[in-house]
Amino acid sequence: MLDTFEILTTSGVVLWSKSYSPISPAVINSLITNVFIEERTLPGARIADDISAANNPPYKYEQHTLKWTTVKELNLIFVAVYRSLLHLSWIDKLVDNIKTIFVDLYGDQLKKPNTTIVECHFDEYFDQQVKELEKNAINKDTRVAEASALEEAPISISGNLGDEPPPMPGVLSRGQSKNIFKDLTSNESTPIATPDTSRPSTPASHILTGKSGPGGKGSRRARKAANTPVYDSSGDESHKKGKPKASGPKKGRKWDAEGMADEDSDTPLDYSAPANGATSGEDESRPRTVEGVDQATWGSKTGKGQFVLKDLDDQVHLILASADAKKETSTAASTGVFGSSISAIGGLFRNVVGGKTLTKEDLDKAMKGMKDHLLKKNVAHEAAMRLCEGVERELIGGKTANFESVQAKIQTAMEASLQKILTPTSSLDLLREIDIVTSPSTLSLQKKRPYVISIVGVNGVGKSTNLSKICFFLLQNKYKVLVVACDTFRSGAVEQLAVHVRNLKELSAREGGEVELYQKGYGKDAANVAKDSVTFAAQEGFDVVLIDTAGRRHNDQRLMSSLEKFAKFANPDKILMVGEALVGTDSVAQARNFNTAFGAGRSLDGFIISKCDTVGDMVGTLVSMVHATNVPVLFVGVGQHYSDLRNLSVKWAVQKLLSSN
Amino acid sequence: MSVVTEWAQAFMSPSPVALVIAVLLVLSIPLFLHSFVFRASGLTTLPSILLIGPSGSGKTSLLTLFERGKSAAQTHTSQSPISAECHLPIGTSASSDKYRSINDPTALAHKKFLLLDTPGHGKLRHHALSTLTNPQNLKGLIFVVDAASLSAGDEGLRQTADYLHDVLLLLQKRMESKNKAVKALKEIPILIAANKMDLFTALPAALVKSSLEAEITKVRTSRSKGLLDSGIGMEEDGDRDEWLGEMGSTEFKFKQMEEFDVAVEVSGGNIVGE
Repeated sequence: MLDTFEILTTSGVVLWSKSYSPISPAVINSLITNVFIEERTLPGARIADDISAANNPPYKYEQHTLKWTTVKELNLIFVAVYRSLLHLSWIDKLVDNIKTIFVDLYGDQLKKPNTTIVECHFDEYFDQQVKELEKNAINKDTRVAEASALEEAPISISGNLGDEPPPMPGVLSRGQSKNIFKDLTSNESTPIATPDTSRPSTPASHILTGKSGPGGKGSRRARKAANTPVYDSSGDESHKKGKPKASGPKKGRKWDAEGMADEDSDTPLDYSAPANGATSGEDESRPRTVEGVDQATWGSKTGKGQFVLKDLDDQVHLILASADAKKETSTAASTGVFGSSISAIGGLFRNVVGGKTLTKEDLDKAMKGMKDHLLKKNVAHEAAMRLCEGVERELIGGKTANFESVQAKIQTAMEASLQKILTPTSSLDLLREIDIVTSPSTLSLQKKRPYVISIVGVNGVGKSTNLSKICFFLLQNKYKVLVVACDTFRSGAVEQLAVHVRNLKELSAREGGEVELYQKGYGKDAANVAKDSVTFAAQEGFDVVLIDTAGRRHNDQRLMSSLEKFAKFANPDKILMVGEALVGTDSVAQARNFNTAFGAGRSLDGFIISKCDTVGDMVGTLVSMVHATNVPVLFVGVGQHYSDLRNLSVKWAVQKLLSSN
Repeated sequence: MSVVTEWAQAFMSPSPVALVIAVLLVLSIPLFLHSFVFRASGLTTLPSILLIGPSGSGKTSLLTLFERGKSAAQTHTSQSPISAECHLPIGTSASSDKYRSINDPTALAHKKFLLLDTPGHGKLRHHALSTLTNPQNLKGLIFVVDAASLSAGDEGLRQTADYLHDVLLLLQKRMESKNKAVKALKEIPILIAANKMDLFTALPAALVKSSLEAEITKVRTSRSKGLLDSGIGMEEDGDRDEWLGEMGSTEFKFKQMEEFDVAVEVSGGNIVGE
């Protein structure tokens, strides 16, 4: 069963909610922060706006699953929350239907400016939808399984099963359906096999009705409410099918096998005509009834709405039907030559003056230009696609301002989009974080310990160089730093660090910083060296431990797997990955592989983008890496000196990315 | 050919129809242009108050409380800013109204103002900051904080202090801005609304103030020691003053902001609960 259904605006106000069992607000908050703000789900999931909830990937939070859809022009979000254990096949449809109904009923109120109040009495509509869909689902659950069996069977039935996929996983339904199929065949064959009793089938059919009566009760009501005439007609058809067989002889009782079969096909007609109506259909008629129900829920008004909620039913169906019709007409939009030319002239005029409503066609060309521009700036294709899709999604249906061209509009939207992707979620003040760990306040119960930073990356991107830059920065701030050489593999790596440490010592002697090298030579296990160094630093009272690691290719499984052990042993406060600005499309894969290499529950904490001075304006790597992992860029390297390390200024990066030379 | 000359003649000749059309055009074009150009700017905007603060502090809740009067609506994380028209209760009068007659009928009407809510999520703070750098009839700020998450060493305290530091620094530097609207902000009061006082772990207002001051001191020093921005040299004024409050002071106090016409006041309360 549903836990909660909420309708909220993007500004965070809940307009309407229905809660069956209370859930923590954190569930929906995490959906909003992760899916909408930080866009952690992979792109491509929401290309168009008014798509159904089925196309949006479900979001899982603890033991809840959330299904959602949005209406962009009204800034609405519809969320359904239910337990992940339950398999509710009708949720998608519920979310979509509720969306259509709500927008239809309260769309006008939502457009008012400067207010958050929406008067809505939505409970009845919602309850009606839940009831209806639930009942349909119960019907379908049984029927679709059976019908799929019939489809598999040699008797091919041209039943249009609607667009609902079978709700049960394939294997299960197949197993079940085979059984059902066997039952069916045995039912058919029993009278032929045992011809000696007069009416073996009639009591049997009675028993059948008796059995399925209570089970099928709900379905009967639902079907009646939905559409009785359609069912009747299909029933008629099945009757007709029976008739030609029974046409020849009179209805006298014949005791040979064939006559028996004839009688059989007649007797059920006599006895179980009502029974047939009551049960959920036995054989061929089944798929047709499914079709009937589908049509009824979507299309015309029901003939016999014997429900308590009859008028509400009608209203809801009308809304849904008109929404469907609107969709169809909009897809098959064809205006006359005159109309189209007028609108074309109007479009040209509006192109210049502004106030033009943007469509996908308007944007396509300009978006392609923007995408090429981004690609030229060394943004990986995947990231460029995502950014462009995001901008497109944002702009379609919007209007250009006075005297604003489409290009200018895209430019501003892209700027906002880049800013959003590059801005970190929380502040990245390394010094304060170090302070908190190395000198915790007396009120908190943490013990003083060294702050551990480790640096990873592909070969030759500048891990050791950036490590020594960070070290220089920390030394200037009078920390006591231990540099650990965990590159126990490449010859000369330890000596290289030793040279850096010697230089830094000389540089910082006056400033009051202190730096030492911790090394265990070559050939040792890096994880163990790191672990030992941290304990050593704690004993000796170092403030910061900087761990240098061996460079590794991100798609080498053997080398990458050792990182997990490393992260567990050294337990760094910050794992920084160095990526060079020169790298192109590969940056996405690099960032992704490193981000997942530290095992579950641990990921990268930041990037250092090195060699930014060598690429000029083409700083697209920044965007690609952040796009791939949602990990912020901590520093950028802008030169060869120890002091050439900078915080990332988002404004600077965005300006470079959008500059057109 | 003759048709063309006929047309030209008809067009040029001072026929009454052409005269009427010309007069109509002359009269209507300015009107049309005026309505077109000035429609966007609209009427004078209502005085507005900006709600600002970290995510989860209760800004949207406060907005709905002001708007609805009785109780706040249920809210979730905001993604977009929103404004709501709110009323002051009858009888409240501004200090500028003290020379008005008591029988002035305007005192009996609700005074309207706009409350601007902004998302507090780290990625979306530019909405709030852009309202500060381009304000429209902004009269004051309410910085909402979650008093229950401000205990020492708490992550919430750091985030809040960071954000407050940025906002105060922006206000301090407003006089250097080239935007006229920013300079028009002569005096700007900030109310630090310590929300969620109904919770057991909430700090009292005085403690909220002192712990925020202490944390801002830390932010200030670590910012001054931190690395340069990569965008340095992008703007002409290279040596900008990034120090919040009084230069050379060891501890930051909200009082120091009065030098920059920013009055800061802290008060406690709770939006939901008893």
